[in-house]
Amino acid sequence: MNFEGFDPAGRRRPRPQLSRRRLLQGTVWLGAGVGAAPLLGACGGDNPAASSGNSAPYPLARPDRPVKLPIKDSNPPIDDGLDPETGGVFKILNYDAYMAPGIMKAFGAEYDVDVQVTPYTNYDEMLSKIRAPGQSFDLVFPGPGQMSKMVFTDLIQPLNHSYIPNLENLWPEYQDPWYDKGAQYTVPYTIYTTGVVYRADRVSSVPENGYDLIWDEKYAGKIYILDDMWEAIGMSMLRNGLTTNINTSDASLVQKATDSLIELIDSVNIKANINAYTEVPEGKATIHQGWSGDVIAGQYYLPKGETPEVLGYWVPEESSKRVTGNDCIAIPKSAKKPMLAHTLINDLLDNDISLRNFGWNGYQPPINKLSAEYLIDQGYIPKNLGSAVVVPDDFKTGITTYEVAPSTEALWRQNWSKFKAGG
Amino acid sequence: MADRTLDHDRAARRLWPALALPGTFWLIALFLVPFYAVMAVAFSGYINVFGEPIPAWNPLSWKFDTFTQVLSASVTGEYRAVWIRTGTYTVAALAICVAVGYPVAYYTARLAGKRRGLVLALILAPWWINYITRMLAWVNLLQDDGYVNKTLGIFGVAPISWLSGNAFTVVLALAYGYLPFFIIPLFASLDRIDQRLLEASRDLGVGMVRTFLHVTLPLSKIGLVTAMVITALPLTGDYYTNAIVSGSPNTTMVGNQVELFLLQGPQKNLGAGLVLLLSLVLMFFMAYYLVLTQRASRETR
Repeated sequence: MNFEGFDPAGRRRPRPQLSRRRLLQGTVWLGAGVGAAPLLGACGGDNPAASSGNSAPYPLARPDRPVKLPIKDSNPPIDDGLDPETGGVFKILNYDAYMAPGIMKAFGAEYDVDVQVTPYTNYDEMLSKIRAPGQSFDLVFPGPGQMSKMVFTDLIQPLNHSYIPNLENLWPEYQDPWYDKGAQYTVPYTIYTTGVVYRADRVSSVPENGYDLIWDEKYAGKIYILDDMWEAIGMSMLRNGLTTNINTSDASLVQKATDSLIELIDSVNIKANINAYTEVPEGKATIHQGWSGDVIAGQYYLPKGETPEVLGYWVPEESSKRVTGNDCIAIPKSAKKPMLAHTLINDLLDNDISLRNFGWNGYQPPINKLSAEYLIDQGYIPKNLGSAVVVPDDFKTGITTYEVAPSTEALWRQNWSKFKAGG
Repeated sequence: MADRTLDHDRAARRLWPALALPGTFWLIALFLVPFYAVMAVAFSGYINVFGEPIPAWNPLSWKFDTFTQVLSASVTGEYRAVWIRTGTYTVAALAICVAVGYPVAYYTARLAGKRRGLVLALILAPWWINYITRMLAWVNLLQDDGYVNKTLGIFGVAPISWLSGNAFTVVLALAYGYLPFFIIPLFASLDRIDQRLLEASRDLGVGMVRTFLHVTLPLSKIGLVTAMVITALPLTGDYYTNAIVSGSPNTTMVGNQVELFLLQGPQKNLGAGLVLLLSLVLMFFMAYYLVLTQRASRETR
């Protein structure tokens, strides 16, 4: 018999042993690989419609050059006269905290579905999530900046207006918007202006050019900009009087605007996020570039004992100088419950439901009944925040972000990454 | 009898490679394939309609324009500061790990005696709590009206804004987060030092300090380097610690820049390029580590 263990010295026959050090060495090598693993997900097979150069393979809508999006035979709207689907899950792809949970709960109960929200923090993330292979969503909230691209790549399906009678509750201009003539693919969800949210109790006086607050060294360390390259670089353009075309493809203008943002890193220790609605009420930020909805929702995030008077919101007086935007509701092509999605869209355009939603998220829907006076009278918007109300003129004459050519987008991204790198 | 030994040998010869199979599979599936995917993205020459790179799976069609762009931006351009910052933070955090972790590992291995199990458990205890939660705890402590500033206020120190792009906070949080990674391998190495060598040193009339410097420290050198490597690898590529305790472009590390490209936009080829560069830099240090350990094992033989 040959019992290894009986060998007193134990080293007569050296065995290939996995020593601890070897194991550690191996682990270390593997460690380098694990960091790369998430990338795999980003490498699925993709639409090889390669594009380069200055133009886009889809129409780029402009306020003065509206676009009627094509309806393809391969991507038709659903038929008339269907019943809403019930049971199972209803999947929504949306910004976090952008739809009132109560509305989703009631909707889920009514149609016996489990409403699930997949959140994103910006449109880029939305695009990558909606395109993830094998994923399906029943509702999505894109902006005009992605509209043509999403139709071109069949990510969203045309709407069947026979299921959306509440369309007539909308401001007339939003029943037929420039980015989607005839509202064929989308209905508007909310409208907003982009301005400066601030603590009125800490900021003694607001300069005429309110954007200057962001460059004010008095508030260093407490100043934030939006973590969104279009909003941030565009704001820098307006503040510095470079241009009012905040979609410009002029490299030197984009660079100048970015350099001005980079100065902020040293001068005021600038930070970027999209949480003005909590950071300002809680006092972490004194100045925060933000959306009108942030300051209206902000009143619900104030610490105990503080009143909405401590909040302030600056946007230019004139509509034509305001940065305005809107989000839309659309139905992904991958939707498993497209009929039910139409039902929820119609609900969200209902006078009462949209008011309830506004009362929760602070973002105004362009519904005729919910005029500025009405919202202030009803106590939804404190008097001191009247500047946060969006009026039809803002949409007609305001400055807005629209869909640009891929080369322009790449230019902006390059500058933004420079800012993110710390200059 | 002889046959049986032969059989045994043959079985053993088959057994050892078989044991390596799971590891090999793991290595291929979770390291080589992803790494190749990163290269296919980094060296892609075409983007799709969303501006995303189309992975070039065939090495013959690899284009190196984007990678060259990333490389030059890293050496002379806008990412230079990011790399310098990453290196500085890593070195600083490692220095804190050595200063704090070595004494703890030494104590646990040499002096804890019966309480060693308890001490080890205490070192590992923070690992029972989610990393993000531990970092958020720092945010609570360090925020402007947090306990740290309140305590400093007692001594008349003006409040410090720890969380707005403060490099010191980032280094501290990194060191804190990865300290257990550092202590455990070092403890293992210190624990294996033969007690008799230390006794011999004492018997020959050498004091505690010199015994430490001339016996313990050289014998734990490899353990120390191992601990540093294991800590440095994840630490260098970390991005969420930074995002939680700073969030400012002032403290952007390579990991944050990679995150920007991979998760916040379509330019994944730039992100993949940075990942490759980071891997190259880390591999350089890994190679040095491997050489060091090889040399050490040759010396012991």
